[in-house]
Amino acid sequence: MNAPQTVTPAASDLSLDNVAAVVGIGQSDWRADYKSVREGGKPTDSYGYGAVSFRRALEDAGIQKSDVDGLIVGSPTSFERASELYGVTPRWGLQADSSQAIVAAMMAIKAGFCEVVALVYGNDQRSAKVQYGGPQAMGGGANLSYVYHAPFGLTSQGALYAMMQRRHMELTGATEADLGQVAVGQRAWAGHNPAAIMKDRPLSLDDYLSSPYIAEPLHLHDYCLINDGGVALIIMEKSRARRQGRKPVTIKTAFRYDLHGGSTTLRPRLMDFYHTGHKVVSEKVYNAVGFGPRDVDAVLVYDSFSCHIPFALEGFGFCGIGESGAFMRETGIGPGGKLPVNTHGGHLSESYMQGWAHQTEAVRQLRGEAGLNVPNCRNIQYISDVVGRVYSIIYGVD
Amino acid sequence: MAGPRLYSPFDKTMWESVAEGKMKIQRCEECGTYRYPPGACCPNCLSTEMQWEEISGTGKVLSWITYHKQYLPAYPAPTTVVAAMLDEGEILITNIDHAETKDLAVDRPIRVIYGDHPDGYRIPRFTLADGPAS
Ligand SMILES: [Zn+2]
Repeated sequence: MNAPQTVTPAASDLSLDNVAAVVGIGQSDWRADYKSVREGGKPTDSYGYGAVSFRRALEDAGIQKSDVDGLIVGSPTSFERASELYGVTPRWGLQADSSQAIVAAMMAIKAGFCEVVALVYGNDQRSAKVQYGGPQAMGGGANLSYVYHAPFGLTSQGALYAMMQRRHMELTGATEADLGQVAVGQRAWAGHNPAAIMKDRPLSLDDYLSSPYIAEPLHLHDYCLINDGGVALIIMEKSRARRQGRKPVTIKTAFRYDLHGGSTTLRPRLMDFYHTGHKVVSEKVYNAVGFGPRDVDAVLVYDSFSCHIPFALEGFGFCGIGESGAFMRETGIGPGGKLPVNTHGGHLSESYMQGWAHQTEAVRQLRGEAGLNVPNCRNIQYISDVVGRVYSIIYGVD
Repeated sequence: MAGPRLYSPFDKTMWESVAEGKMKIQRCEECGTYRYPPGACCPNCLSTEMQWEEISGTGKVLSWITYHKQYLPAYPAPTTVVAAMLDEGEILITNIDHAETKDLAVDRPIRVIYGDHPDGYRIPRFTLADGPAS
């Protein structure tokens, strides 16, 4: 018996579940900056919006900048330049989108690379006139689907979702009024959110249906806002977070599954609505937390376009495949509905912070500090499936 | 003359075939898998050996959209774009005469025709294979 024994590590040793917690959040003044930019102003640049948010997140967490030993920045800013400008000397860090940023923070903390990670996002997309469609569409270098079909007439990310929505309507009988539940519901949530850009602009279903089409079947109100702004979060190793004083919000679990086969010609969108990824990720995260879609108190969905919501509700099992129209109408996803969805107003009505403000809304709801609090909120699920990267993160409070 | 933007060296061969009115796509020489848009290797077996095959030009409608806002100089609104599954099993996305929009439906047969882009090159387009709906 001298042979070395194979030791299989316990599953908990590999798991990122319950390792990290959010202890601080901050954001820039979206409403004021939106107004300023519309009047031709340039309040600051992406780094500046990040700095405003970072400072507020540090204050919220009750820590000093010198306590930060990990830094993750959003995709509009350089990691190196942000480290320089923000005066932090991280032991570890990178640039990431919002979902990957949360997962990367969990990984780095678990691996012992750092204990206090600042996640800082700033984006001057409106004042910098970033183009999401047309000859100069952004993102084409990484995602060929954004640019490849321009000679044939297809451009803009909204058009790709319009293609999905048309097929979904044809296959399931869903109507434009069904989809309108999303824009109307989120606008109603935004009406309670003092930070929401569309706070004072109520939207009825009739308003929605009579608004112009952009890429039919999508209407103007199915499209996200384009605005400048920033968001920041402070994430800590959980036992340290408990000693910090502020009630920590635990990142209970997260998972990812990618679908890129045939993605330039929209195969995973049109043939699958990304449901293969939704299924794998939902099984994984619901198993990890020991409950299912019926037990989450609210769901936050990355909503560059409204139809993200019905596709996610179907894929994650909130309703059956093809049943999202009836589900949204009958269950209700707005204030007072049985399934609160995008309780901040989301990208459509609060602020287009590319998923980052969905993370801070999860924290607000679980702290009871949201614009309109979901009663007895214990667990919140975040879902995103941008360009075939399906993620879900479940946040909770003990 | 501005041609279509080339995203890989392989795009050039495809656009040359389109200019001849016989659009070709790549097919893996080792495993027979088609691929579009053109690229360096086979997504199934990673082989870089391939041949160019003319498409049958027939397929079925998967989805479509109509722009009511103009994004591209060559395509004033309203303009309709269709995604179709070619008989080869590859998806092709291009436009159709806007007047045919009202007759579109999922799975309706379409066929490829060739038209002119205002920038001075030819493109494959769609038309309904069985004429307008009765
Ligand atoms: Zn092959």
